[in-house]
Amino acid sequence: MANTVFYEDLINMEVLPPLKKPPLDRMQLVRYAGASGDFNPLHYDDETGKAAGTGGVIAHGMLLMGFAGQAVTRWIPNRYLKRLSVRFVDITRPGDQITVNGRITGKRLENGRGLITGEVWAADQQDTIKLKGIFEAELPVKG
Amino acid sequence: MSDAAEITGKELASFTHTVERGKIREMALAIGDDNPLYSDPEYAGEQGYRDIIAPPTFGICIDLWSGLDFISLCRRLQLNLVKVLHGEQEYCYHGEIYPGDELKATCLLKNITDKGKMRVISLETRYYRTNELVLVARTTIIERK
Repeated sequence: MANTVFYEDLINMEVLPPLKKPPLDRMQLVRYAGASGDFNPLHYDDETGKAAGTGGVIAHGMLLMGFAGQAVTRWIPNRYLKRLSVRFVDITRPGDQITVNGRITGKRLENGRGLITGEVWAADQQDTIKLKGIFEAELPVKG
Repeated sequence: MSDAAEITGKELASFTHTVERGKIREMALAIGDDNPLYSDPEYAGEQGYRDIIAPPTFGICIDLWSGLDFISLCRRLQLNLVKVLHGEQEYCYHGEIYPGDELKATCLLKNITDKGKMRVISLETRYYRTNELVLVARTTIIERK
């Protein structure tokens, strides 16, 4: 049976279940560099980080967006997701523990299509926001 | 600025990419996303897909392995590598991406503007499977001066 979420199931301003990730470690950054193909030394070499003014290695912004994508597709089945747009607002370091939060911010019916918009944001253990974004989805409408 | 201004609106790269099953799984593992849609064809079939699918941020993998990698992009736009930040990223989903898909992509430089101590660069990449648009990516990168 296919997982589904109906337009009627989501309530405007509803807070979505947070996704709490394990603390980031360097192995994950190396793994992500290899998977994505982003070999910017800023993500594995402390000296580069110091030269760039970040004090050491930092996580790939796109890894954080990957976390956001993971959270959003837990809330909304992949096939209904139409748009995910994020802004990278702060750097993330090894040891930081990221939680992805979200809420529904808008619902409208358009020609029988159930359109929803939401906010997504990722923050560390001190509630410092690292990423902010929006998502849009088109959900099936109950008969 | 002159060289950069001249290429505004121009095509930066055009490339093809064959989506690999192992790369989809590797990306999901690197993110720590255990959604079986990215690894289990049987589960994906039960969910109505013809095979496993790519996760929402897979586009970056297509760009960096087959299009312009970060270092080439900085060189092309004459940006100082260590001063460059990824500012914003957007994906618009038009269809699922499956293993074996032969995607054709075109990356356009949409805009370059100087805002105080920052140069802001906007790129747009469109990905097609044959003639079907499956994904649009919009990227904003920032060079601090």
